[in-house]
Amino acid sequence: MKTASRIVGTAAVLEGLVAQDSPVYGAERRGAPLSAYVRIARTPIFERGLIPAPDLVVVADDTLLDDPAVRPLAGLGPTGALLLATAHGADAVRAHTGHPGPVVARDFLGLALAEVGTAAAVSTALGVAAGVLAGLGPDAVTAAVRGELAALGLPAPAIDAGLRLADLARAGLAPLALGAEPHERAGADGRVVDVAWAPAETGAPTIVAAPNTPLRRTGSWRLFRPVIDLERCTRCWICFVRCPDGAIRLLADDTPRVDYEVCKGCLICLEECPPRAIRRERETRTWAAAGAAR
Amino acid sequence: MTAPPAMLTGNAAAAWGARLADVDYVPAFPITPQTEIVEQLARWSAAGEIAARVVTLDSEHSMLTAAGAAAATGARVFTATSSQGLLYGLELLYTVAGWRVPLVLVNVSRGVASPITLEPDHDDVLAARDAGWLQIHAETCQEVVDSVLLAYRVAEDPRVRLPAIVNLDGFTLSFTREPVELPAAAVAAAYLGPYAPRHTAIRAGRPMAQGVAVLGGAAYSYFRYQMHLAAENALAVHEEAAAAFAGLTGRRYGLVDGYRLEDAELVLVMSNSFATKGRAAVDRARVDGVPLGLLRLRVLRPFPRDAIRRALAGRQAVAVLDQNLSVGAGGITVTEIAHALYAEPARPRLLAYVGGLGGKEIGEAEFRRIVHDLRTAAATGEVPAPRLLFTEAEAAQVGALLRLAGKAAAS
Amino acid sequence: MSRDPRAYRNLKELAREEFVLPGTALCAGCGGLEALRLVAKVLGDRVVYVNAAGCFTMLAVFPYTPFRGSWLYTTMASAPAGAQGIRDALDVLVARGRLGPDEDVEVVVVAGDGATYDMGLSATSGAVWRGLDFWYLCYDNESYGNTGVQMSSATPYAARTETTPVTGRTPHGMDRRRKDLFEIWRAHRPGYLATVSPRYPLDLARKVEKAKSVRGPKLFLAAAPCPTGWEFDPATTFHVARLQVETGLFPLKEAAADGPVTHTYVPRARRPVEEYLRAQGRFRHLFEPARQEAVIARIQADVDAYWARAGGSESAAPRGAGTEEPR
Repeated sequence: MKTASRIVGTAAVLEGLVAQDSPVYGAERRGAPLSAYVRIARTPIFERGLIPAPDLVVVADDTLLDDPAVRPLAGLGPTGALLLATAHGADAVRAHTGHPGPVVARDFLGLALAEVGTAAAVSTALGVAAGVLAGLGPDAVTAAVRGELAALGLPAPAIDAGLRLADLARAGLAPLALGAEPHERAGADGRVVDVAWAPAETGAPTIVAAPNTPLRRTGSWRLFRPVIDLERCTRCWICFVRCPDGAIRLLADDTPRVDYEVCKGCLICLEECPPRAIRRERETRTWAAAGAAR
Repeated sequence: MTAPPAMLTGNAAAAWGARLADVDYVPAFPITPQTEIVEQLARWSAAGEIAARVVTLDSEHSMLTAAGAAAATGARVFTATSSQGLLYGLELLYTVAGWRVPLVLVNVSRGVASPITLEPDHDDVLAARDAGWLQIHAETCQEVVDSVLLAYRVAEDPRVRLPAIVNLDGFTLSFTREPVELPAAAVAAAYLGPYAPRHTAIRAGRPMAQGVAVLGGAAYSYFRYQMHLAAENALAVHEEAAAAFAGLTGRRYGLVDGYRLEDAELVLVMSNSFATKGRAAVDRARVDGVPLGLLRLRVLRPFPRDAIRRALAGRQAVAVLDQNLSVGAGGITVTEIAHALYAEPARPRLLAYVGGLGGKEIGEAEFRRIVHDLRTAAATGEVPAPRLLFTEAEAAQVGALLRLAGKAAAS
Repeated sequence: MSRDPRAYRNLKELAREEFVLPGTALCAGCGGLEALRLVAKVLGDRVVYVNAAGCFTMLAVFPYTPFRGSWLYTTMASAPAGAQGIRDALDVLVARGRLGPDEDVEVVVVAGDGATYDMGLSATSGAVWRGLDFWYLCYDNESYGNTGVQMSSATPYAARTETTPVTGRTPHGMDRRRKDLFEIWRAHRPGYLATVSPRYPLDLARKVEKAKSVRGPKLFLAAAPCPTGWEFDPATTFHVARLQVETGLFPLKEAAADGPVTHTYVPRARRPVEEYLRAQGRFRHLFEPARQEAVIARIQADVDAYWARAGGSESAAPRGAGTEEPR
């Protein structure tokens, strides 16, 4: 998503606007959800850091909509827009999320896989789409794609494929009136309070809870989930032993069970299973009742 | 009953402080002028006179890590260093304070490199002023042993739980003997009680993750603010601890110390062992009819803003003699004192001096100059620019050294 | 509670419980995490992990911890000194009756190669020289990984990292061999010393179990294939780990105190290093756009020379020993 944000940022500057874009860094290592942000303005931008009230939210993985650890729609107001890479249609997305503002839903991942051959290229598609929705001109967006893909060190054929993907991604999209509403400024609401002294049992950076990392639900990282065919499984323990995260537990009879709340989808288990009893499935979540996403 | 006074060096007094506190662990590393402290503790430990284990580490960075980790395990820890060693372990000063573990470090102050030197000033201990350690600065060898005990009591208090530095000057205190009354071991034991923390532990059956990463500014700020609030609690806790100490020994210590302050219109502010010279300067001025007093800074962290404000409000003029230098800004404590005085309607004129770096003598001529400036400021309101104290004789001496070194003579 | 190390004959003797719970922030497919997880299964929960800065610092990020034991993050250079302080404090507290002997824990330093091979050497040297009773687990992903894969003195010859880039003037990336940490450690005569690989869990478990009866420094160097830094599909972590050992590039060996070095597993026929190199993007420049034959040959020659020396003067396990490991 860093590439997506940079396509938008670079395109904005090519159009003579002011921009500020950044990836968001956290504790997560390779495989975790990533995010980025970009600000565009006609006048100097007097703000820094995360955007609390975006005009447009771009989501590359629709399974993240329901993830309470991620909450990508947090801060998106009723007139803000949602741009989503998904196989679902816009109406289904609207019904599922309850978002009243504009929703652009398209299978950008499918386009990326077909045109470029890598899932990572969805970032290019979304960056282009976001740029169009933000009202940036087609030449600027195209030039931005070329520049950012080159900056990634991609060879010429990959850049060409990216440009073709860009054309597919932007087809039929038109600018939205974004940023027309005045922005909520960071921390505009809320009282300033005193910080009260707490004893060191509370005020020291220690953790006394029993081990609790499963609460972090790293299952949200997966693009594919491992599925064990228990008929073929020989209860050999290999998948359990090899899973670096210990996300597979064994029942008393040695039957392996993947904990999908935490499984990161590395697929080591699939690779290592001697009878090849593990297959992969594209990760989807059953969408809960409408309105669950917020 | 207390033992009769013995003649003890500052280093010996510091070692006695650790002994009387019945510490469990002394990670050590030698550095002039502190080394005798750990040598003494090593001798006592080897002879079985103290229960503490003394272990020499491979560096001060390792030594301070071991100190904090042992404290986090639940042991009462003592250590000592100076100057370059304190700076080498500076990362750990921040780290250990953030762990919220009490322990006492005696810093025997020594000027910092470059140029490398051995004699005292306060650049080393003041480099640590932001790290989260309490700081008590001692003027006499007696005050050294007493402050080590006070420091344990304050640091271990549940309202505080921060590590503490007790500072004493190299050479003028560390190697200099003075009469020292040592509290009896039983008195010290009753004063401190056992160290039995609940907030930190490393033991089976009570797993705890300590010193963990904290990402997210609100949580990080919270933990840092808690350190500050705990340090501020130490002002009141110190007063309680000092009152209890006075009850046991008859010796009373405040957040600051005053000499002939009651009717002083002009005040000289100093700290550490050279404050004794300040007392002599006050007496000389008084003989000449100048209403001069001395304010000695004692507790540097937490910074006792109110005590300093109360001590200096209503005076005509105050001269702060910093035995330290923040290069490009000047003396360090004068800025903190200015902040303490800023809202005081009756705030005095404030004069700034830097002297005594690397143990440079501060002689009568220099004190006379300060008194002269104070009187001028009081009379006319004219405050001179901050001054780096240096005499003509010293300039001549340095000139000769420069020529010997093949350098152009100072003009 | 020690078991006979020879008891680890098949995987089903490994503990079923996890002592490092899932859900941490580490990369999917992390070889180092697997090593820690396996070691933890043998050590149990009466431990304190003392950490130096690196990838594993991200294991415990407030308010989450994966450990059933305790944890103390120290600094990048001084985790062994932290271990010293904890071990000494535990000993004193037990001796002075403030801690029951049943409350004692094993002290385990956990650090990456960056901290271990470079700035941590002083603290490590001191702790081992002092005979400290502690464990040291170094997960070696051959780089400063947490900061984005820059070279460390563990980075192997010809590897590309962010600070040993491949350019026209530097066609093979890293231009020197990595330090031999095993020999550096061995020169300090620790109580027990071993290399382990997360792909050979029985060998690993036997070594950890054996070390339990040793009082003093117990040092473990774990191969930690790193999908992020070495550039391979995380599903193939153990394919890479296996080649690392089967090419002979990462010997599985141990040594105790003043004793000889024993190889606990000797590949029957070493795979050509090229198979290992081709499996990782960090060595892609050795094959594309043009094959760098001299570089590949040098890597092969180095490994051949090692095994020629090892097969001669030092005792070695019979060829093919350790085949209890599933292939």
